Amino acid sequence: MSVRARPTSPHLQIYRWTITMAMSIIHRATGIANYAGMALLVIWLGAAAFGQDALTSVNFIYGSWFGQLVLFGFTWSLAHHMLGGLRHFVWDFAVMMEPGQREALAWANLAASVVITLLIWTLFVWMV
Amino acid sequence: MRDTVITKDMIANPTSHYGNAKASTRHFITQRVTGAINIVFLGFLLFIVVRLAGQDRADIVGVLGAWWVGVPFAVLIGVVAVHMRNGMRDTLEDYMHGSVYRLAMLLNTLFCLLIALAGAGAVLKIVFWG
Repeated sequence: MSVRARPTSPHLQIYRWTITMAMSIIHRATGIANYAGMALLVIWLGAAAFGQDALTSVNFIYGSWFGQLVLFGFTWSLAHHMLGGLRHFVWDFAVMMEPGQREALAWANLAASVVITLLIWTLFVWMV
Repeated sequence: MRDTVITKDMIANPTSHYGNAKASTRHFITQRVTGAINIVFLGFLLFIVVRLAGQDRADIVGVLGAWWVGVPFAVLIGVVAVHMRNGMRDTLEDYMHGSVYRLAMLLNTLFCLLIALAGAGAVLKIVFWG
């Protein structure tokens, strides 16, 4: 929140790569992806509000293989960011922070995000 | 809004109060409260997208046009926009300073405002005018 210049830290490449560090970076990356992805939702809703012709165009683009690929990625991004947020809620109670625990939680976050995404697409897209 | 050079002494001194305690706490609480509410948003989103993806306008009006679906969804889009602006602020603060930061933050606010107004507006249009 502070808008004063912050102290800078050594950059990424000097650190040994860890899963908690990777999940932290992915939490920010998925946050930014979701930020952009919200535009996709608003375009769809806007087209639906505007008229059938606009909606047909949006449905065509979102239904194309590339559109589906982006929406699949968006699903994973939302799932991962939600689970990352829940992980922060856990940490807010000052638990699961010890060595071993935090790595387990980070791996669980990654695994659960993939499982949830595949579950959603299997149940609601591929099996329909 | 001004760039103050943060020295070692400032950081070591507990009475120097660098950073904004009130605004930072508000930012922290806001991000967590909106984040928790966003889980409800994702529930709505999943239901709405699964039910309506690829469907015609008449189907969308039929489902989203029900006030008890459309109105909460419109409000939740607004909450998402607050979370988006707050989260992007964290990112911008880390990489930008001074006037570049202020410009980026202005664009951030405008984008989130656009998402909130266009998103909630589209849903409410469907609810109240079909």
